[in-house]
This record gives sequence, structure tokens and C-alpha cells, in this order.
Amino acid sequence: MSKELIRLEHISKSFDGELILDDLDLVIHENEFVTLLGPSGCGKTTTLRIIGGFEKPDSGRVFFDGMDITGLAANRRQLNTVFQKYALFTHMDVAENIAFGLKIKNKPRDYIEEKIHYALKLVNLEGYEHRMPGSLSGGQQQRVAIARAIVNEPKVLLLDEPLGALDLKLRQDMQYELIRLKNELGITFIYVTHDQEEALTMSDHIVVMNQGYIQQEGTPEDIYNEPENAFVADFIGDSNIIRATMVRDELVNILGTDFVCVDKGFGENKPVDVVIRPEDVELVPRGQGIIPGKVTHAIFKGVHYEMEVEASGYEWQVDSTRLFEAGSEVDIQVDPFNIQVMNRPESEDEEAMAIDV
Amino acid sequence: MRSKIEKLYMGIILLFMYAPILTLIVLSFNSSKSRARWGGFTFKWYINLVHDNSVLNALANTLIIALISTIAATIIGTITCVGIMGLKRRSRTVLMGVTNIPMINADIVTGISLMLLFKVMHFETGFGTVLIAHITFNIPYVMLAVLPSLRTINPNIYEAALDLGAKPFYAFRKSVLPDLAPSVLAGALMAFTMSIDDFIITYFTKGSGFDTLSTKIYNEVKRGIQPEIYALSSIIFLAVILLLAASSYIKHRQNSLKKGKYLYKADRKISRGQAVALAAASAFIVILAMYFGGVFTRKNNQLFVYNAGEYLDPEVIEMFEAETGIEVVYDEFETLEIMYAKMVQDDGAYDVICPSDYMIAKMIENGMLQELDLDQIPNRKNIGEQYMEASRSFDPDNTYSVPYCWGTVGILYNKTMVDDPVNSWDILWDEKYSGQILMQDSIRDAFMVALKRRGFSLNTKDPGELELATEDLIAQRPLVQAYVIDQARDKMIGGEAALAVTYSGEVLYAQNENPDLEYSVPDEGSNVWIDSWVVTKKAKNPEAAMKWIDFLCRPEIALMNFDFVTYSTPNTKARELIEDENVRNSEVAYPGNDILKRCDAYSYLGEDGDLLYSNMWKKVKSGI
Repeated sequence: MSKELIRLEHISKSFDGELILDDLDLVIHENEFVTLLGPSGCGKTTTLRIIGGFEKPDSGRVFFDGMDITGLAANRRQLNTVFQKYALFTHMDVAENIAFGLKIKNKPRDYIEEKIHYALKLVNLEGYEHRMPGSLSGGQQQRVAIARAIVNEPKVLLLDEPLGALDLKLRQDMQYELIRLKNELGITFIYVTHDQEEALTMSDHIVVMNQGYIQQEGTPEDIYNEPENAFVADFIGDSNIIRATMVRDELVNILGTDFVCVDKGFGENKPVDVVIRPEDVELVPRGQGIIPGKVTHAIFKGVHYEMEVEASGYEWQVDSTRLFEAGSEVDIQVDPFNIQVMNRPESEDEEAMAIDV
Repeated sequence: MRSKIEKLYMGIILLFMYAPILTLIVLSFNSSKSRARWGGFTFKWYINLVHDNSVLNALANTLIIALISTIAATIIGTITCVGIMGLKRRSRTVLMGVTNIPMINADIVTGISLMLLFKVMHFETGFGTVLIAHITFNIPYVMLAVLPSLRTINPNIYEAALDLGAKPFYAFRKSVLPDLAPSVLAGALMAFTMSIDDFIITYFTKGSGFDTLSTKIYNEVKRGIQPEIYALSSIIFLAVILLLAASSYIKHRQNSLKKGKYLYKADRKISRGQAVALAAASAFIVILAMYFGGVFTRKNNQLFVYNAGEYLDPEVIEMFEAETGIEVVYDEFETLEIMYAKMVQDDGAYDVICPSDYMIAKMIENGMLQELDLDQIPNRKNIGEQYMEASRSFDPDNTYSVPYCWGTVGILYNKTMVDDPVNSWDILWDEKYSGQILMQDSIRDAFMVALKRRGFSLNTKDPGELELATEDLIAQRPLVQAYVIDQARDKMIGGEAALAVTYSGEVLYAQNENPDLEYSVPDEGSNVWIDSWVVTKKAKNPEAAMKWIDFLCRPEIALMNFDFVTYSTPNTKARELIEDENVRNSEVAYPGNDILKRCDAYSYLGEDGDLLYSNMWKKVKSGI
């Protein structure tokens, strides 16, 4: 793993008496594309703003490249931000916007010209130097905002839901652009979003947050395939999240039927949650699987069929390339590797804290 | 049909709204001084305006106050808005409510509160207090313009600037301020307009010797408006319209920018013509302000003069200042009663005053005047002996006052409208002239008419005699067109009335404008009055006051004032200098001894007498 760049230690922050971040620890490495993912109000934006220097934590420290920057003003940090609503200077044209940071640093004219040219080329906006921001589309404005940030050659680029205001098609295009940019620039991106698809597509490392706590960190694959709790499982993609009982190691009772699994160490006869992804539920003709059920809905989605199967009193979501018509009698079976067993917390608060170690 | 009615309705509404201003503008080009007569088109009132120092000083005061208070209020207001936006929602709502209150509050309450505060804190009222007051009431207007647009500004813009390395103030200046600038400018224009416009708050905080246009105009109105004031008001109206237009133009540009109507930067830059116009307008204001700026550097050697309106040739003041190096602060009062109230309130406000006979007696009795240093007033010898003698009725030893103007009270009548001989006050009770009679709206003059008609003394304190006079005045009421002060002259010139109780000094001017007018002092007798210069007990500059009185007693100066005021001068040397023989020997200006014998001066009635008269006068005015 590459060198550590940013470290947050015991960060707490509240607004108007409401606790937003509680004793948060986070490490970000060089040259990573890190996404802070979570629903609104989870503390992801506050975390980003603390890194950017726009908010001071109530307690805790922020380290950048080994230096304590907790008290350092935003204008003196070696990072730049791309804001959700672009935040372009409406009275300056595109070139002036991009040159803003460089002029403050008293860079020579030629250098600035060159940088503007380079940045606009990078974001595919060549020839737009003298347009006014108000006359550009949302996507174009966001590219200008990115260009304005990167000409300063920051070590870290902070992006606060930068695609949030764009329509779907544009958003997907921009996702690829951001990945390309990140690779060309070779710097760290810290990206905030509530869109799990965006997070899975672009990130090297995802930090799932809820109610001021980090729920789980890992690669997109880790997060998707092995959610550590029901919140993560629920938030990342569609899932069958079912209350179950861990009978003993490698055996879990789901809805009255024992399933073989690969998890151990939960104890015997412990209440747990299991997560089974819809594409991991296999449908086989009646008599060939583990629990019997009946297909209640079947919809064609292009790549696969989306079906719902009533079995043992639970509505299973199933994705498969093989169609079973609504009304068919089927059996369900699950590969032991595809059953993800998780501790079941007693309350919501406990749920939030349980994973935060 | 319907659209015709709609148009008609709109037309009527517009007419109602703009007819008064149109009247004003039209009159400002009327070469006749009378409102009632169109004397042809002229620019002379506008030209006079440029040469009227007191008006120009007031204009300079207005502009300087407006300019400084606008700049200060704009800076303070904008900073306050930024501060308010940084607060929590709850405190923000509360604070915004609190700052709006002064705007909703009645001006008169704000004005009186500020005046009280200044008094309590021992601030000397004048330029400084008016400026503070204007800054105070302008701040909410700036905030009203700035706050809403500050709310629409994306706070990330400021953060983005910080993020790019800008220091906080630079970030604010470069990111938020340009977006805010149109609102700030609109707020500033609003504040500027409000400041120019304000009368009430200024009136209460200005003290003596300081006037803005609005208070200046108010003084003039009380004395009867001069056409110069129409011209001035027309200019103010035009200026306010221009400011409002500028304000909405700025808002319009702001909207265009927001809507992305400007593709390239060059599109939104103001044109060269607009820039030149803007620069010229600013330069005009600044130069004007600087030119008259000297008015405010208060010199030690100042003389505060308090006189009735239009009762001195302004050129005389300039000559006095040029010769002596003393700066004259010249204020005008509307009536003697107002002057007296002012002096009771602040007895050191003025050094030298010009009241009438009975008022001088009252002030002597109340110890408000100081004896004159006659060695300093050698030119007093030019005043005719008979006038010094007459003055003894209110100033027994001739030690407190020097006569300035004098005259009689009589009936001005239009000989085309009155057939009967006008030799008795009875004609004012003649039903034939019902609705054609103008009475003086003044206690002493009104009672003088009624008392003299019955052959009583005009200084009587006999309740029985006063009762009869009161009954007569009540009986006369239905015949009277109006009780007026200075409008009598204009109404008579315009032929709006047949008979008016008037001061002799008005007659020469009125006859000049309308040759059908005649003047008569009735046989029953009338009032002869003398206005004299006196020096106040608490005068801060008594030496200058003596010099002032001596200066006014010079024959050539007295002549200038006579030409300007047209009231008879007691200065015999000056009278000899009058070129026009008809004027010099005019029966009106210099009535013969037979007439003067019938006339008495008013004497001071004492507090009881004042009260008795004013109670009776209330009965007359209310008709009970």
C-alpha cells in the first residue's frame, strides 16, 4: 500500500448541539481515489470540509503528510476543492476563473496562460477561455471548476458531490472523465457522494458512513460482496437481508432451513443477519434445491431477469439470466460462499457503533 | 369599450399622481411671482437659485450629508449583513427584525429620540448630529437591499476563493462582493435618495444655523414660498427620478447576468457612454460638495443671526462678511411666537435677532436681551428721531433695540371689485363682500381690527371689550374667505379676493404686480409696528452683533434692504437716497402724521394678557 497522506484522529463535530461526527478516525493514502459514501446527514460532507479547512473539528486532530494542520486556514492548505454547485466566480470569464489561484500565487503570465490551456484541454473545454460561466451548461461549469482546482497542482483534490446537479447521462460520462483525470494527474481524490453506483464505479477505496460513524471501509469489491452489517448491505445495491440464527460454525438456519456457510466464530444459536445478493440466489426446478417457493413477479431488465420468489414466508429478490415465469413452482439454493453472515445489533444506535472500532 | 374605460381609469390615476408635480414644474417657469397669474415663460428662478447662497449652502449640506451618510451606511450595512448571515437561523431572524424597526418606526419618533439622545449626551446639534442621524436611518435601507441578494449567493463561492489560496478579505472582495455589488449599489442609491428626501429627522436633529434643502424649503413655505423654491423642488424631483432609474437599471443588469444572458465578458461591460455619464455624475456631486465644503469648517468668528423670512438682502450678508471677516450664520423664523419658543429652549443659539415691538418688550421683561454698546453703533444717528421716540413704548430708554423696519396695518383692496370708499374697518363686516375678505391669521392683528372698529385700545386687557371683539370676529367668520399670513399678497395680486388685512410693506410690491390694488388705513385707527434689532443676553459674540447692527444702519445698506424688503425704513438718510420720487414720498411707505396719529404700537400684554387673547382667539377660530 502507498504512503499515508491524510490522517484524521478522534474527530468530533456538532452543529447546534447535534452531533454530526463522533470520534472519527480515518486514514487516506497517496494517489488513492477515496469515496466517502453515505446517506445525507451521515457526516461525509462535514468530514470533507474538515479536511478542506472550512470547518474546525470540536476535538481531534488532522494530519497532512505528517504535519498537524488542524488549525491551518483553508487558504494555506495544499489541497483544492470542487463544490457541488460549481461555485464559479460569475463575474469572471472561464480563463479568469482558472487563473484565480495562480494569480494569488504570483505566477508569471506565460505560466498562467499555459496552465489555462492545459487545464481546459484536460477537461475537454478548449476554446472556452473567454466564455462567461452563466452561459455554460452544468457539466461545462463543473469542468471549469475542476480545471480551476487542478491548475494549482494540489496533492489532494476534494470533490463534494460534484456530479449531484447533473443529469444521468452526463453523470455517467463525467464518472469516466474523473477516473481518467485522476490517472493522468496522479494525485489523491477524496470524493463525497450518496450514490453507491458512482462510488463503486470510480473508487479505489470506499468509506461507508452513517450517523457520524464509519460503517465499513474497503475496496468496492469488499464492500459489495462482504458488507459487514445490514446498513452497508442495504445501502450498497439490492440485497436479501434476512434475520437468521447461527446454529454453529459454518451452519446457519435461515427461515427454518439449515444452510451451509463459510462463516465461523459467531457462537452457537446466536441471532444474526444474513445477506444474500439477488444474483447469488439460484433458482432450480422444484425438487432440486433447498427451499421450495413460487415466482410472484418476473421482469426483463436487459442483461438479466428480475424476479421475486415467495419462499418460507419471505419475498426473495432474485436476478438471473434464466427466466422462470410468474407462477412457476421453483426451489431456491445458495452457494455457501455467497451467504454473508453479520452480527445483529439490538438497536439502531448500537448498529451504528458496533462496527466503529 | 372596456379597454377605453381601463385607459381612462389609468389616465385619471396618473393625473392624480402627477398633477401636483406638474403644477410645481410649470410654476417654476412662471415669470410672475404670483401663483395666480401666468406672467410668461422664464428661467430666472433657476438663475436666481444659482445666485442664492443660502439655498446653495443648503444644497451643499444636503449633498454632503447624503454622500457621507450613504458611504458610511453602505459599509456598515453590508458588513452587518455578512455578519447576520453567519449567525444561527434563530438569532438571524431576531436581529433582522430588530434592524428593520427603525425603518417602520414613524420618522417623528426616530427624530425626537435622536434629538433627546444628542441632548442627553451633550452633543452640539448641527452638521455632526444630522450626519449621525442620517447614517442611522440609512443602514436599514442598505440592509434591505443587500440581505436578500446575499442569501441567494452560493456560500461556496467564498470558500472556493479561500480554497484557491485567497486570504479572507481578498476572497470576500473578489468572490462575494462583485455578485453583491449591484445590490450594494442599489442600497446606496436608496440610502442617498432617503437622505436627500428626509425632512422630519433632519428637522429635529439639526439645531440652529444649519439647514438642508428640505428644512430650508420648509422655512420658506411658512413664510410664503418663493418661485425659486419651485425651481429647486423641480430639480430635486428630477434628481430623485434619475436616482430611481439608475437603481432599477442596476437591478436589471444583475438579473441579466444571473440568467446567463452574457456570453462573453465584453457583453456585460458598460459602454463608454454609460461610463462617462456615471463618472460625470459622480464628479459633479463630489465637486459640488468640495466647493461648498468650506461651509462646515466652523470658524471662531461667527455671528448667529435670526430674522424673519425674506427680511434682508442676502447680498448684505456677503458684504458684511467680506468687510469684517465675520462669518454670518443666518436663520429665519416663521412667526415671532416660534422665535420666542426657540429662544426659551436655547437662549444662546443666536447673537442678534430682529423681533417686533411687543415681543421686544416681552424679552426685555424676561431678561433675555442685553443692553447695546452704543459706542459700537455710531450709525444709529441715521435713524429718525420720531422712530426712536416711538420705540420708547416697548424700549423706554432706547437701550436695547435699534429700529430696522416699520409700517402700518391696513386694508389692501382691489378697486375694480370694491365700489364703496374704504375708510372704515366696517367694510370687512359688509355682507356684500362675503367670501371676498382675507383676514390675518395672527392673534394681535385680528383683534386689533375688531377692537379699533369699536374704538377700543388695541392693547386693551378689559375682558368686556375683548368679549365684544370676539363676538364681532365670530360674526365676521362666515364672510371671510380665509385666514392667511403671507398668501394675502399673492391672492390679491391674482384677483382672488377683494379685501385683505395687510402690512403696508407688502403694498408697493403688490401694486407693481397688479395696478388695481389700493391701500388704506381706516379712520378708526390701526397698528403701527416697528421691527428692531436686539442682542441676546447669552450672545456668544456680542461685539460682532454690535458691528452687524451698525452695518445695517449705514444709509446705503439700509437702502439695499429697503429695495429688497420694500418695508418702510426708519433710516432717514436711506430714505433720502431713494431715487424713485413716488416711492420716497409714498403715502403708503411714509404715511403722513395724520395717519400715524391714529395708530398705536402693540405693547406687551403680560402672561395673563397673552393667555386671555389666545383663549379668545381659540373661540374665534372654533366659532363657539
